[in-house]
Amino acid sequence: MNIQALVKSMDEVFKAFLLFWIPVAMVPLGLWYSMSSSNKSTTTNGRFLAFLGLILICASPWTVPSSPSSAAGHLLGAIIGPCMLVLLGIYLISFSGNVPVGKLPRSDRKLGVFMAGSGFVWLAGMHWWVLTPQLAPDEVNPYWFVFWPTFLLLTSCLASCSAVTLLTIGDRRRAESNAMFLVSAVSLIVLLLGLNVDGPLVTGEQFRHHLWLAVADMAGIVVGSLLSILVFALVIYSYERSLPPPKTISPPSDSELDQVSALIESHLGGEEE
Amino acid sequence: MKQTGLAVTWRLIVLAFLLPPLLIIALDITIFGSFKGIDSAESFTRFANATLTAYTLCSLFLLGNLFFYGESRNRPLAPLVGMFFATVLGVLATVFLIGQGSMLLEDNGSVQAQAIYNIVHMFVSSGAIFVAVCVALGVTFSAITSQKPRSDFDLEEE
Repeated sequence: MNIQALVKSMDEVFKAFLLFWIPVAMVPLGLWYSMSSSNKSTTTNGRFLAFLGLILICASPWTVPSSPSSAAGHLLGAIIGPCMLVLLGIYLISFSGNVPVGKLPRSDRKLGVFMAGSGFVWLAGMHWWVLTPQLAPDEVNPYWFVFWPTFLLLTSCLASCSAVTLLTIGDRRRAESNAMFLVSAVSLIVLLLGLNVDGPLVTGEQFRHHLWLAVADMAGIVVGSLLSILVFALVIYSYERSLPPPKTISPPSDSELDQVSALIESHLGGEEE
Repeated sequence: MKQTGLAVTWRLIVLAFLLPPLLIIALDITIFGSFKGIDSAESFTRFANATLTAYTLCSLFLLGNLFFYGESRNRPLAPLVGMFFATVLGVLATVFLIGQGSMLLEDNGSVQAQAIYNIVHMFVSSGAIFVAVCVALGVTFSAITSQKPRSDFDLEEE
């Protein structure tokens, strides 16, 4: 047994645990901590913990380059910019419209459209231009093949779903529904382009292969999550069923009923205006 | 009659959700004469790994939620233990099934490597799902707020 190799491997596992997995745990812990209390310092500390976790995850390709998991940190660092642009842009567009509270200036709408558009173009540039997340020259980050098809397909599906919901359940929402059909169509066209037009590092065949893996992935997530919710419901149901029935009180007596009737009668009626 | 209308609405919504992938399949069959690009063995492996990982991680999340459930019910131990065993079952099933051979092993050499890959893969997929949901909800909201405000008189006139 090569003890030196084992020690080295243990060392790398420990480094990955310390510099990747602990920061990963810091993000939900920090968010939970910030939301669990109304105290301002607790909220700030929680947010700082989550932010520090995010920074350490993004830095993992440099801090633990030997760990394959650090590729996820690399992807996070690559997509956080365009995703924030898209989400902030949508936020600006939404709150510069007709909202009763938290209304932003009308000029923020143009800025929002520009931000959301440039964020989307940036993401598209990662497929068809030189912006593709690469772990080494000409080596595409494998998690990019997970993120991009999942995002495009689900956006198209959800936008189409939202458009039909606005049409069928909403009241006079045809214009909004058309906007959502447009978003769905744009996502679908980008998806179809990805299937047929090669980028400098990502071919259509690769994209097609990973698209159906993304479908399998999403189906698996839905099935697994539903199973766990079912088990959760069963655990609660079996516990509640095992509890003794709550104590019942005796029905009201005749005198109590008479008293209630008298009380109600004294409050009924009223004068005409 | 009202129930039938509701059922039709739900079916339409579900169909709208499935429309984009169905369109891609239809275009593939129309243009290429077959449905290409899918490797059923690899897709099944991914589906099974995603199912096991989602079950385990979601159970772990729900186990955490049981603490809050317990808070309002004098902290009963039984549901906590039940959910703990359900989570452990997920971990054991994942380890056992991955250890059965190449069926659930993707490009990884060991059970530990595959399990860690599954968790990281789930984080990336969840991130993509989160961004897509935010985009769809955000655009729906912005489409609604970009319209002229409706007055109560409009509704009364109808």
